[in-house]
Amino acid sequence: MKIRIALYGALREADAGGHVELEVPPGSSIAELRELLAAYLAVHAPAIPAGLVRRSAFASAEEILHNHRAVPEGIELAVLPPVSGG
Amino acid sequence: MDGLHVAVVERRVATLDVAAALDFVGDPRFGGIASFIGRVRDHNVGRAVTGISYDLFEPLALRVFRAIGERAQAEVGAPLKLWIAHAKGRLAIGDLAVVIAAGTPHRDEAFRACRLAIEAVKHEAPIWKQEHYVDGDSAWSEGCSLCEEQREAERHEHAGHAHGH
Repeated sequence: MKIRIALYGALREADAGGHVELEVPPGSSIAELRELLAAYLAVHAPAIPAGLVRRSAFASAEEILHNHRAVPEGIELAVLPPVSGG
Repeated sequence: MDGLHVAVVERRVATLDVAAALDFVGDPRFGGIASFIGRVRDHNVGRAVTGISYDLFEPLALRVFRAIGERAQAEVGAPLKLWIAHAKGRLAIGDLAVVIAAGTPHRDEAFRACRLAIEAVKHEAPIWKQEHYVDGDSAWSEGCSLCEEQREAERHEHAGHAHGH
């Protein structure tokens, strides 16, 4: 299945349009999605530090999705690098 | 929670409104109001800063602000009105980045609610700061990881350092 992921903060530098689309096997976990995104960025956005995806969280508009969660179908996700508000 | 106002304000549209915040948390029952105002300063870690851009994942940021309000309410254990507003977009030196205001019957509760809210906004809300420097360069700030496993790993790392010294 195709998963669309919106990019924020330093990860915006990875794509001028502000999102990436990944082909993800059905039933994948967020931990597996994290590996797929890290591999994708290593090829398509080598300027992004390799550790940044490891330190980032995945989320829907409602909540943070931790590593053990299944990748939800049919909704856009967001990948959130370490936060620095205030 | 009643008496909670949360907002993300695009800088091009408006500035954060401190008077409105203080007005909102005022109440005949309340003798104490504490506020925190974060402004854009002209330097960071020895570099001259000309401005800041804030990026937010807005729907989740507003949910996190509301959850922070609920937690502050539970924590202070007293009647509370709380205002949490954060700016978005390109800000100049001196612009308001964040405004927190807490109204409660007494000062201790107001200070505690205000402190809890600003610390939680800084560490938990999906907000990113990009600094712009005099030389034209820009950089995203380091920040706190929202990834549970990573937070845990970093906590152990810090604990290790603490023991090491």
